[in-house]
Amino acid sequence: MTYKIYTASLLKEGLVAYLSLRDGEAVWTTDFTNATSTEQVAEETLKLEADRGEQNNIIVGPYTVDVTSEDGRLVPLENRERIRAGGPTIKLPISGKTKQHTQAAA
Amino acid sequence: MYQYSQADHQLLLERVTQFRDQVERRLKGDLSEEEFKNQRLRNGLYLQLHAYMLRVAVPYGLLSSEQMRTLAHIARRYDRGYGHFSTRQNIQYNWPKLEEVPEILDALAAVEMHAIQTSGNCIRNTTSDPLAGVARDEIADPRPYCELIRQWSTFHPEFNFLPRKFKIAVSGAIHDRAAVAVHDIGLRLVKNDAGELGLEVYVGGGLGRTPMIGKLVRDFLPVHDMLTYMEAILRVYNQLGRRDNLYKARIKILVHETGEEKFRELVEAEWENIKASKLRLRDEDIDAIRAHFKDPEYEDLADFDETFDQHLLTDTDFAKWVDNNLELHKKSGYRVVYLSLKSPDQPPGDVTADQMDSIADLADRYSLGQIRSTHRQNLVLSDVKLTDLYELWQELKNLGLATPNYNHLTDIIACPGMDYCSLATARSLPIAQALTDRFENYDYVNDLGDISLNISGCINACGHHHVANIGILGVNKKGIEVYQLTLGGSAREDAAIGKIIGPAFTADEIVGAVGTVLDVYLQNREDEEEDFLTTYRRIGQAPFKEQLYG
Repeated sequence: MTYKIYTASLLKEGLVAYLSLRDGEAVWTTDFTNATSTEQVAEETLKLEADRGEQNNIIVGPYTVDVTSEDGRLVPLENRERIRAGGPTIKLPISGKTKQHTQAAA
Repeated sequence: MYQYSQADHQLLLERVTQFRDQVERRLKGDLSEEEFKNQRLRNGLYLQLHAYMLRVAVPYGLLSSEQMRTLAHIARRYDRGYGHFSTRQNIQYNWPKLEEVPEILDALAAVEMHAIQTSGNCIRNTTSDPLAGVARDEIADPRPYCELIRQWSTFHPEFNFLPRKFKIAVSGAIHDRAAVAVHDIGLRLVKNDAGELGLEVYVGGGLGRTPMIGKLVRDFLPVHDMLTYMEAILRVYNQLGRRDNLYKARIKILVHETGEEKFRELVEAEWENIKASKLRLRDEDIDAIRAHFKDPEYEDLADFDETFDQHLLTDTDFAKWVDNNLELHKKSGYRVVYLSLKSPDQPPGDVTADQMDSIADLADRYSLGQIRSTHRQNLVLSDVKLTDLYELWQELKNLGLATPNYNHLTDIIACPGMDYCSLATARSLPIAQALTDRFENYDYVNDLGDISLNISGCINACGHHHVANIGILGVNKKGIEVYQLTLGGSAREDAAIGKIIGPAFTADEIVGAVGTVLDVYLQNREDEEEDFLTTYRRIGQAPFKEQLYG
């Protein structure tokens, strides 16, 4: 069974975000597993919230992604969207000082 | 290096202030994304697959150690600790936040750098020979001409909204190390029989979905006429270039559809009107810029060092590096050193903030404080004394920058592909890494000799696969990443577009397919001196096809 979720980029950070409806409130989360799909909510409701997110300058360029359910978890159908959800598939360069700086910032 | 004037500084600072205001208005909602998009692109800021991407211009690939330290600081403070050198000799950051980009641009402006015109349908960063000014085969130093082009093209009011982006490369040497033939305009400095300096002017080269080799429209243009003639070319393109079809908008299509002869006539007619204008370069104009690129104070050194020779005999790893990653220098006792950004541990062209800092230190210590980036996504220290090479190599080895593979199989050009890019249809970096892992044997790679292997993650060909001896193009076939193989390309003075060998391979098959291609070459070469391209041109596609597809 195929469902849809809404994705976009966060305006301030540019990061990939997914629309999540919690207790009727719309949140844009970077965690794909928290996305709300059309299995749970009508597509029109999601679209309305996605448009609102764009109008309120929270996100940029919302669109729908086809997902399917595997072992109770949502998985994007397209390879491109799987990479968007999971991040680059290669080992990213990292070095000592940078690691320390990132940890300190966190 | 060119030193900014007061006017240059002022221009940059005003531009940053302007963009800061635009960002603030965007974040407040006073500007819509549609209104803002053009402004951010004009400042090199893309919205990519995972995040914003900022492309910083490195004019004709020249960097000071101070600039490199600033790039490291930006990577560490505003990004995720690394940057990516691109085939336009620029550097890209993959994770900046929109609200922090003005701060980044401030930091760049403080060291005479920016991201202006690294995107948009305008004249982009001019690229050049990474050995400019030090190459033994140099006819004339291309850097002053690159700088003149930079000054002419930056904020050029007439050419700010061209039909499509516009890329220029300049080479001043006998051997083309700047891929001149695959640029919208390619310039090669030459001398005529009277010993006067001029330019061969090539127009309409390019890669992408319709790869073409540039056409020679002028075999000798006096250097004084460089800008007026380029202005004429750009005017013809601006007027007649296709604006109705994104895929037919580059100048290569205009030259192709108009015909070489007719296009030349149009340019010459336009040039007649402006060739004597104020844009014509005077001797003093050229000399003023040349003064910025005077030779440093080289020492008088012997081209021989006993200790160096001793290390060559006793340290085989050092000898391998010397064999592959050094270039002769025009001055006795100096060498050009290639820093390989193609180690097995990092994606091609990537460099960490810590490496950048160390490279800056090494440049200060061993190479007169300068670094160059290359269109093959490596770095260069251009003025290293023979007597310092062993010490420098040890430092580079510790930094993971001494892989002895320059211009060899694992010196792979790769675009970021679908791991980062919105346009990509397939990943290129995992393939590059798989190839690097598979062909890690130094003796085997060395035996293959001079060979280029490039990978693009889509038809836009940012990985220059068309002009690689062995090119790989990733495409999406019914949701699966598959990889087409092209053979016989070259980006040098014998420039050629590679030909597709046959049906595409899966991600699991492509590394083996490259291995098969190499086997065919090794079986068929006449001797160890005959490189891959020569063998391919001699025997044609058939033997490769037969082995690949049976």
